[in-house]
Amino acid sequence: MLRFLTTRAGDGILTLAALVTLTFFVMRLAPGGPFSSNRKISPDILANIEATYHLDEPLLQQFLRYVWGVVRFDFGPSIRFRDYSVADILISGLPYSLTIGLWAVLVATVTGVTLGILGALKRNSIIDYSAGVIAVIGIAVPIFVLAPLMQVYFALTLRWLPVGGWGDSWRNLVLPIVALSLPNIAYISRLTRAAMIETLRENYIRTAMAKGIGGRRVVWNHALTGAVLPVVAYLGPATAAIITGSIVIETIFALPGIGRHFVDAALNRDYPLVMGITILYGGFLIVFNTLADILRGWLDPRVRNE
Amino acid sequence: MTTTRFSILAGSWLALACAFAAPAFAQDDTLDRGIGSEWSSMDPHVNFDAAAGSILSDAYEGLVNYNGYDILPGAAKSWEVSEDGLTYTFNLREGLVWSNGDPLVAQDYVDGLMRTLLPDTGSERGYYFTSVVQVVGAADIINGDATDASGLGMTAPDDRTVVIQLENPAPHVMNILGGAFSMPPLHSPSVEAEGAGVFVNPARVVTNGAYLIREIVPQSHVLLERNPLYWDAANVSIPFVKYHVTEDASTELLRYQAGELEVTYDIPLAQMEGLQATVPDEVKITAGVDIVYYSFNLLREPFQDINLRRALTIAIDRETLEGRIVRAGATPNYSFSGGFDPNYKMPVFDEAAMTQEERNALAQELYAAAGYGPDNPLRITILPTVAEESVRRAQGIALMWKQVLGVDAVVEPQERKAWLDAFYAGTWDVFADNLVGDFPGPETFLPYMRPSAEAGYNWVSPEYEAAMDVASAQTDPQARLDALAVAEKILLDDYIVAPISIIPTRRMVSPRVGGWLESPVGYHNSQYLTLE
Repeated sequence: MLRFLTTRAGDGILTLAALVTLTFFVMRLAPGGPFSSNRKISPDILANIEATYHLDEPLLQQFLRYVWGVVRFDFGPSIRFRDYSVADILISGLPYSLTIGLWAVLVATVTGVTLGILGALKRNSIIDYSAGVIAVIGIAVPIFVLAPLMQVYFALTLRWLPVGGWGDSWRNLVLPIVALSLPNIAYISRLTRAAMIETLRENYIRTAMAKGIGGRRVVWNHALTGAVLPVVAYLGPATAAIITGSIVIETIFALPGIGRHFVDAALNRDYPLVMGITILYGGFLIVFNTLADILRGWLDPRVRNE
Repeated sequence: MTTTRFSILAGSWLALACAFAAPAFAQDDTLDRGIGSEWSSMDPHVNFDAAAGSILSDAYEGLVNYNGYDILPGAAKSWEVSEDGLTYTFNLREGLVWSNGDPLVAQDYVDGLMRTLLPDTGSERGYYFTSVVQVVGAADIINGDATDASGLGMTAPDDRTVVIQLENPAPHVMNILGGAFSMPPLHSPSVEAEGAGVFVNPARVVTNGAYLIREIVPQSHVLLERNPLYWDAANVSIPFVKYHVTEDASTELLRYQAGELEVTYDIPLAQMEGLQATVPDEVKITAGVDIVYYSFNLLREPFQDINLRRALTIAIDRETLEGRIVRAGATPNYSFSGGFDPNYKMPVFDEAAMTQEERNALAQELYAAAGYGPDNPLRITILPTVAEESVRRAQGIALMWKQVLGVDAVVEPQERKAWLDAFYAGTWDVFADNLVGDFPGPETFLPYMRPSAEAGYNWVSPEYEAAMDVASAQTDPQARLDALAVAEKILLDDYIVAPISIIPTRRMVSPRVGGWLESPVGYHNSQYLTLE
């Protein structure tokens, strides 16, 4: 276990180093700079501002300065949001992204697994077909179409929930969480269904049945583990993607998460903020993939031995 | 065993998900306003964008205030202008205090300007005091030649007098001393103690405007509360104002319709006509000080021929373009500066009085005279930004040039920063240009077109320079406007840019909000509004 973790940590650091280097230089290739503006700024004023952010130094020196900062967990100041450092922005946006993201993963997993198992146990039944239809809709209809429809229906027509914003109660969270979990419910239910059907054909299940253990116990205690293994493998990258990839949801529901900062930063050439968020996202991917592997090992002895 | 494992997993996940949800605090009697994308800075001496400008003009007060078209006394109750138009003397009110009770004195305004100009602050706002007006000594501080206020043309002879000295007469200085782009004072003790971070720390920030800053959540909102120590607090009606970041105009409109916002920042183009038909009183469209014009690349050979520039300028049917194609509420423009000042006798290009048919016929003659025709069409690119409105306008113009003249114009939209970069690189034939003004009047635009301003137009015109010199020496406001009109006519006669339209501000304003006046610059201080 310890060896596994050290290897993973080493790989992770190498990956991040490559990510930092690549992003830093590729980003500078984009035309325009953080201070390109509609009216030409006087050279004296521009020089003062560039000096504030060390943008007047040679590129290599800027890179070394940045890397030296990152090693000390100093991600520099944001250029677009001048009042904050990159660390401030990440710390302020992360709770919102995490809350929405983790809830969405939870909702997606519980609903998806349940639908998948029911579908597998009662194949070709109404439940199975409905789950299939939900899955097709969830996968095929993009969030940016579904979310505004949900806003119009639940917020404007029924007046049950607010349209957007991070407000005063759980009611602000319902629509974004549902919208974010829908595509994942679809994937997870399909994954679970296929895995469950396969597992039910395994010899150990037949042995359990032959021993006279009841159907419910066989499913719950024996088959379920086998059926969720692919889901756990999927959840690693999916969790990272949901937390970091909720840009569309954050924009549509006006939530103050990190995703919107990312887009804003890229459009405004806020180099330090783009770097900071890229490192964060890269870190998330690595951590959640590692967690998923550990979980799979915990649930499935075969994986542990590999 | 498996069951236990699942319970542990699900339980810890649930705990994790719950742990991050933090409550925000709610208020009744709150005016909820959309501000578009997030403010760049809450530092009043650094901010250079409109979103923060609205918030800051509620929180900080300059020497004067604006409401609609009016310039009202602010921290200064009166002012005098010297005969030569170079010296402005402001008399501050008695008993002015900061929000923490500290007395507010004239020197605080001088300190505010110093902080804006000093290189260490890294502020773009120095532009107002060196380019829009020329405050004596301001440029020396920006470029580091001077480090203290001894040579600065802004002084505080006593606690209640502020004197501003200008290098050239500039009656429009009154337009940059208040409102969203005001020259705010500096509360030195709090900034010295805590640095610039104090401006985003609601517990420590000290303000002098009608509102206090209560809560700042990046990418979400800023909450303001009425300042009981403000000199005019008795006339501030709305207790709380909440500015919401509303990046997506469609979501913003839905939030408005659900009653979550009383004022929006924009209106989605696709919904404009529907809203104007159903709730016309709530749709507020005002011509803003934002002009769109198409610039011709004078360094490229075809555009050195005035016949071609003129043909392209008049072959555009502006009424059809804005009314039927772009449909964003913009006003067709036949002058450059768009007017905005009722006393300005705005010149227009010569063909403005013709019908579009006559213009098209003339355009065809000029196009042929420039050496182009069906066998030899002009092939050019148009560079707009990727914004929907900007692309629609470019496509409409390309179509008109094709139909009237047979020009092959390719529209190549660019992401905003790349578009700006392309302008200075000169890699374009026709640039879908725009200029945002700082105050309503021709002088916010005309000096920028001076060849000596080196704004990138590569225009050579000693006549325009001379006419602008005449105008900028005038101290009498009307004589100055008349001289500016002469200069603007020279600009139009050379057809170096094709004026297109004036971009409006588009707001939804709830019937619950009272006191909403038309303002071309978009000044709508909350202190002048009421909420039912």
